[in-house]
Amino acid sequence: MKIECTIDNKHVLLTVNSNKPLNLILMDELETSHMETRCRDGNCGNCVVLLQDEAVLSCLIPAFRLKGAKIVTFEGYQKSRFWHDLERAYEDTGSHPCPHCYASKTLIFESLLQTVVKSESGPSHDEEPDETTIVREVGLNKCPCLDAHEILDIFRAAAAYRRRRRVRRY
Amino acid sequence: MYEGIRSPAVHMPKTMNDLVSASTRFPNATFWAGGTFIMSRHDYYPTRESNDIISLGEVPELKRINRTDRYLEIGSMVTFEQMLTVGKQVLPGLLQTTLEGTATKIIRKQMTIGGAICTPQSRLSLPGTLSALQAEIEVKTCLGQKTETRWIDINRLYDRHGTLQLKKNDLVTRIRLGFERENFSSFICAGNPMINPEETVMLSFACFYNQAVINRFRMCLTFPTTMFLIPHEIDMMMHGTMLPLSTQQIDRVVRSIMEGVFSSNEHEIPAIQLERARRFVESAMHELNAQSLSER
Repeated sequence: MKIECTIDNKHVLLTVNSNKPLNLILMDELETSHMETRCRDGNCGNCVVLLQDEAVLSCLIPAFRLKGAKIVTFEGYQKSRFWHDLERAYEDTGSHPCPHCYASKTLIFESLLQTVVKSESGPSHDEEPDETTIVREVGLNKCPCLDAHEILDIFRAAAAYRRRRRVRRY
Repeated sequence: MYEGIRSPAVHMPKTMNDLVSASTRFPNATFWAGGTFIMSRHDYYPTRESNDIISLGEVPELKRINRTDRYLEIGSMVTFEQMLTVGKQVLPGLLQTTLEGTATKIIRKQMTIGGAICTPQSRLSLPGTLSALQAEIEVKTCLGQKTETRWIDINRLYDRHGTLQLKKNDLVTRIRLGFERENFSSFICAGNPMINPEETVMLSFACFYNQAVINRFRMCLTFPTTMFLIPHEIDMMMHGTMLPLSTQQIDRVVRSIMEGVFSSNEHEIPAIQLERARRFVESAMHELNAQSLSER
């Protein structure tokens, strides 16, 4: 099956099996270095990417859903300005995800930060996440390197940077 | 590694008519809703036996949520997260708790209500809750170019072991819920039905009462791979009972349910599931008592 899509702002034409999961496409066809998962059952949470700006587990996305899609992996995300909010939040709090889950947890944090921005910019179905939701969402990645307090501290610090960024833009 | 692996043909109907015709032309094709269950199987990819796929994601009729005077009608391709945006006034509390307690938001955005009902091998949390809420399911049967539509009680979708009773040419299109709200509800789940189904137990319980007299007492115990138990006799037994329940009444309910568990399953049920089931039922009864006492 031929699929045209955008991966990390690059237009790509893939010839892959229609039911091949996105994580395997990224690892086999594009050799994405941050994609480590081979769990194949959505349990490790290590294969998070942004699909149409929303965090998804790439092992649960089949190739045929990618027609015309915009995919951002951690490598692409590192080139965006939003990455610096989280980078600074990690430095400020002194808590970092371990190298094994760094990419995945960072993208989950990013998807949570997007709901903060959406909820402040007008009526939206996305409410600002509460503490339980934040811890639970980040817990999608099963790596236990961050405890709940660290997760919340990182989120609060990054959300503050993100809000400032929005204020400056206006 | 992937040599000889066939790429299944994917059909993406855009209307109900297209969908009916696709399912008639490709009777062995797999209906694809959110894909979270199918793709989380260990043997999903690569595999040499992959059926063609009929993706349901582009049929607008299946993505609608309709509110009539009497019912809430939910299309089978509505995601869990979309359902949660319907609002607490419209969505029954038990359903809201069940949806919120299922996976994380990232996965809920992909899980669909129809997919959760029609998982082939194991029962997840939603069927039990819909059963406790006495939901009805619209099933369309494709008969050549014609379709036959019927509304059935969700309990008729499964046998006592939780095996799906749909035929190959049957398609779940809508789910209907009444607006009558339960006075008390409880959803308890221990374990993860996707990772360790042999240890997982889920209890969905809805109780309707008026002036401390029970009118309806709906309970569903789900053991993901072995049992889908709806103890109808308990509903009859508890009808007209005054709240709070006495210790003897609670014991009787627990004993009756556990007898139902043993009698409806010839396989040996793991001790952890039995223990969890017993405790969940007890816990739900005590919570019901607590609520009824606090309302006095």
